[in-house]
Amino acid sequence: MLKPSLINNNKQVIHKNPWFLGFVVCIFVVFVSLNIPIEKRKYGLSQSNLTTDYAGLLPERIERIVKVGDRTELQKMVKEANEKGHHISIAGLQHSQGGHTYYKDSVVLDMKTFNKVLEIDKQHKTIKVESGATWEDVQEAIQPYGLALKVTQSQSIFTIGGSLSVNAHGRDIRSGPMAGTVRGMTILTPTGEIKTVTRNDSEEWMKYVFGGYGLFGVILDVTLELTENDVYIIHTEELKTNEYEAYFEKLLRNDDASMHYARVSVAPNSFLNEMYVIDYLNTGKKDHQTPLKKERGARIGKLALDIGRQGGVLEDLFWENQKLLIKSLDGDKITRNNAMRGNSVFMEFTKPGRVEVLQEFFIPVEQYEEYISDLKRFLPANDNNDDFKIHNITVRYAAKDDYTYLNYAKEDMFGLVILIQHGLKEKEINNAKAIIQGWTDLTLKHGGVYYLPYYPYQTKEQFRKSYPKWEKFHEEKLKRDPKVVFQNIFYEYYF
Amino acid sequence: MKSLSERYVPLVVSVGQVVIFPYYILWLKEASLTFTLFTWFFASFSFSAAMGYRLFQAGKKPANSYIPYIYLGVGCVYILVGNIRSSFEVLPYMALLFQVILGFLQGYHHAWHIEQNAYRLHAINHYLLVGVIMVGLSFVKIISPIIFITTFGAILFICGIGLIFMKKEDRAVSN
Ligand SMILES: Cc1cc2nc3c(=O)[nH]c(=O)nc-3n(C[C@H](O)[C@H](O)[C@H](O)COP(=O)(O)OP(=O)(O)OC[C@H]3O[C@@H](n4cnc5c(N)ncnc54)[C@H](O)[C@@H]3O)c2cc1C
Repeated sequence: MLKPSLINNNKQVIHKNPWFLGFVVCIFVVFVSLNIPIEKRKYGLSQSNLTTDYAGLLPERIERIVKVGDRTELQKMVKEANEKGHHISIAGLQHSQGGHTYYKDSVVLDMKTFNKVLEIDKQHKTIKVESGATWEDVQEAIQPYGLALKVTQSQSIFTIGGSLSVNAHGRDIRSGPMAGTVRGMTILTPTGEIKTVTRNDSEEWMKYVFGGYGLFGVILDVTLELTENDVYIIHTEELKTNEYEAYFEKLLRNDDASMHYARVSVAPNSFLNEMYVIDYLNTGKKDHQTPLKKERGARIGKLALDIGRQGGVLEDLFWENQKLLIKSLDGDKITRNNAMRGNSVFMEFTKPGRVEVLQEFFIPVEQYEEYISDLKRFLPANDNNDDFKIHNITVRYAAKDDYTYLNYAKEDMFGLVILIQHGLKEKEINNAKAIIQGWTDLTLKHGGVYYLPYYPYQTKEQFRKSYPKWEKFHEEKLKRDPKVVFQNIFYEYYF
Repeated sequence: MKSLSERYVPLVVSVGQVVIFPYYILWLKEASLTFTLFTWFFASFSFSAAMGYRLFQAGKKPANSYIPYIYLGVGCVYILVGNIRSSFEVLPYMALLFQVILGFLQGYHHAWHIEQNAYRLHAINHYLLVGVIMVGLSFVKIISPIIFITTFGAILFICGIGLIFMKKEDRAVSN
C-alpha cells in the first residue's frame, strides 16, 4: 500500500505522495510508449507539401486534392477537365509505389471517402460497394452473414478500386484472377459518362479498367461475388525449393486446399534452398461468429524483422525463428475471412536515407525450379555488406488471366514477392536499378514478367517485353481518353 | 558569488526556458507524429514535474546542493535535443524520455526557486526580459531552432559546472 503523505493540516493526500506521483509517471510513460504508432512515416496526399505514395520515392507537387463524395460533382469535374485540358489522377490508399496515384499539377481524387456499402445480397452472395471502401470495410459488412471474399491480396488494407485497377491476387488458389470475381460495376468514363458495365458488355470497359491503373476513368461502385466464410485447418510444412513444384501440383489436386502461400529463405545459410508452405484446407464447416482478427504483436514482429534486417547470422536466426513460428500454426483452425487478413504493420521501416520497397516477379509454375537455380547464381547469399538487401520472399499462385490487357499471368504463375532495402543516394538507386533490371531479364528469360504497381526500376524495353499487349492498351487509352484527362506518373514513364 | 548563483543564474534559467520553448515545441511537434502524442508528451512532462516538485518539498533541506546538477541535467537534455541524429523509429521514444527528465528537473527547480528570496524580484524582470527577447527573436529568421536549443543547453551546462566549482571553493574557504 502506498503511504499517503501528511500535509495540509495532517490531512492525508495521496496524490501528493512522491511514491504515488512516481507510480503515475511510470504507468503513464509505459502507456504512451505502447501507443507510439509503429507506422511513423509521413507519406501520401498533400496540398501544402509534395505528394508521395507508400514508397515516397517520387515526390511531386499536385494542383489539389478532391475528397470524393458525390457522383454528379465528380462527373462535372471530369467534363470540365476535358474542356480545360486538366489532368486528373485517382488515389485509393496509395500502396502502389510508382506514382500511380498522382501527377504533376494534377487534381487528385481521394477515393477513401467514397466507401459506402450499398447492398448485400445474401441469397446470391454478392455485395455492392463504393470503390473507396477497403477490403476491411467489406469484411466487416459481410462477416455477420457468414460470407467471405473470393479474392483479395494477402492483407485487407487496400481499397477495392485500387485493387481492381492493378488486378491484384492473393492467397486464394481456386477463384482465378480478382477481375473474375466482379459481376458488374459503375464507372465514370474519361469523357464524363456514368456507365453500368458487365463482363459481356460490347464496349469491353472492364478489360481495360481492371489492371488499368486508373487510366480508363473512375470505378465508382462494384458488385463483387462472395463465397462462404469457410473454416480451414492450417497445414504447414518445410520443403526444399526443388520440391515445391511437385508439392504444389499435388496440392492443386486436393479439392480441400483453398488457399496457400509459401516463404523462401533469404538467410545466408539456407539462401533459396529452404522454404515453408502454408496451406488452408477446408474442414467443411462454415463460420458466422468468429470475429475478424486484428493485427496483434506488431511490435514484437517488427523487432524480429529488425533483427533479420541486420543480415548475416542474425538473418539466419530470424529464419529459424520464422520456421518455428510457422510450425506452431500447424493444425490451427482459421476462418476464410481471417486467412485473408495478413499482418502488415510489422513491416514498417523508417530509416533516413534508406527505403524498403516491394517487387514481384511472376514465373510459370513449371519454371520455378530452374528459375530459383538461376537466381541462386545471380544473387549473393549473404548481402550483409551490400547496399541492396533482400529481406523476404513470399510465393503465391496467380491463375491464368487472359481477360485484362496488362495481364501478368499469361499462364498459371507463381508470384515471388520480394521485400528489398536499399539506400537513397543516386549511386545506390542506380545500383538497385541495375540489379532489378538484371533480375527482370532473368525472369523474362524464364517466360515470366514483373508486377506493375511498384517502383519502375525496369526499362521501357523490359515493360514492352513483359506486357506485349501494351500497344493495344495504349491505343485504347487514347481512343477512350483522347484528352488524356486521367494521367499519372506510371503512365508518363512507360507510355 | 552567492548573489550570482541565487539571483542571476535562476533568472537566466527561467527566462531561457520560456524563450527556448517555441523552438523546443517545433522539435517536439516534429518528433511526436500525431497531435494526440504531442499532448501526451506534455502530460508526461506535467506528471513528472509534479513528482519533481513534490520530491523537493519532501526532501531534507537545504537542497541547494542539487541545483547545479539540475542545470547540468537540463543543459544536457537540450544539447542532446539539438544534436540528435537518430531515426524516426526511435525519436518519439527519446522525446518521451526527454519530456519526463525535463519535467522532473523543472518541477524540482521551480519548487526550489519559489523558496528563494530573489524569486519575487525576478518575476517582473522575468516577464520583461522574455517579452524583449521574443520581440528580438522575431527578427531572426535564418538560424535554425536547433542552434538556439543547443546554445541554451550549453549555457545551462556551463552554469551548472560553474556553480559546482563555486560551491567547492566556498566549502574550501569556509573550512
Ligand atoms: C505491403 C504491401 C503488400 C501488398 N500485397 C499485395 C498482394 O498480396 N497482392 C497483390 O496483388 N498486390 C499487393 N500489393 C500491391 C497492391 O495490391 C496495390 O498497390 C494496390 O493498388 C493497392 O491498393 P490501394 O488502395 O492502395 O491503391 P492505390 O495505390 O491508391 O491505387 C492503385 C491504382 O489504382 C488506381 N485507382 C485507385 N482507386 C481507383 C478507382 N476508384 N477507380 C479507378 N482507378 C483507381 C490508382 O489510380 C492507381 O493507378 C501490396 C502492396 C503493399 C504495399
